[in-house]
Amino acid sequence: MRSAARLGHWVGAVACALAAAPAAAFTTNITAANPRTIYLQVGVGSFTGGNYNSGGTPQANPTVNLVSVAVPTAAVGNSAAQAMATNTGATNSFYDGFAFCNANQLYVGGFYRSTTNTGAATVTANSATPLSNGSGQTLPFTQIRWTSSGNGDTGAQPFPAGTFTGTASQTIGPIARNQWAESCFSFSYLNTTTPAAGTYTGTVTYTLSAP
Amino acid sequence: MRPLAALIAAALAFVALPAGAATYRVDDGATQPYESAVALRWRSVAPTRGGDDTMEGATTVQVRLNLAPWLNRQGRIYLALPEQPPGKVVARWTTQGRLLPGQVGTGQRTLVYAGPITTPLLAETLALRIEADGNRMAASYRLNFHFEIDVD
Repeated sequence: MRSAARLGHWVGAVACALAAAPAAAFTTNITAANPRTIYLQVGVGSFTGGNYNSGGTPQANPTVNLVSVAVPTAAVGNSAAQAMATNTGATNSFYDGFAFCNANQLYVGGFYRSTTNTGAATVTANSATPLSNGSGQTLPFTQIRWTSSGNGDTGAQPFPAGTFTGTASQTIGPIARNQWAESCFSFSYLNTTTPAAGTYTGTVTYTLSAP
Repeated sequence: MRPLAALIAAALAFVALPAGAATYRVDDGATQPYESAVALRWRSVAPTRGGDDTMEGATTVQVRLNLAPWLNRQGRIYLALPEQPPGKVVARWTTQGRLLPGQVGTGQRTLVYAGPITTPLLAETLALRIEADGNRMAASYRLNFHFEIDVD
């Protein structure tokens, strides 16, 4: 037994010596730079270098597009919804150039990049300030609704149909983390009131907020 | 007697390893990355329909391998990237010719040299490109590489 014990200690000493032999590892620290990126396009947008799928890069575009309708005098207030048209001409998705929208639709799309799973980004609309004819008469944005579609799409749109609520932060739809979302809106004027004659204008501001 | 015999066998096997075919960690303690941290950026600025959420970055590593224990022997040297956070990582590199270029993923090792060990200190520069899943890059991570050698 004593021999066994001594040998056991000796084996242990050899093992320790080998474990202490040179065995290094080089390390490289990696960290995510600019991990959060968001992009929202309502109407026209701008890219340089082509579409996304060919390496294009989104740019800021300050254009405010117009959605309008001229209601015939005989139809004012008759509750027959009046289709509205856009002046955007932006029917192709900058994702890949696909003709995703049709004429007179408003493109709404964007993406949200993040390394952390803290929820989706959200598109909201501020329609709190009503349309005005410049003479003191107003029309609430609640008189305008939209349907949502996309050429080639099946299933629900990421930004569904709705009606403006005339509030400062109406949810339009989410953009899930690391996803691209796009829809095409077709607006209508509900035409359920009889406002004073005139041209009513107003602005809806869309905002994309990331968690 | 049985325990004693087992201990003797174990001891013989243990001390016999350096003389036979075996794998050893190479002392690369003098290896240094040029940058203290590699900043990874989205490979695709926007999410893609193919789900490419890769982040990538590059650095240069000055490799110094102490090969003295295996001098004048035949060996195969590998660059290994053990399994570790943040999960799937791929490292690709080019070299100046003393080691082979290649790529390695987490949990793998890749051959960078095969042949006689003719120098006690092998120096090489790796232009290293690292790719990681952006969905797992919520924090900074320390990637541990090491070199191994198989000697005949």
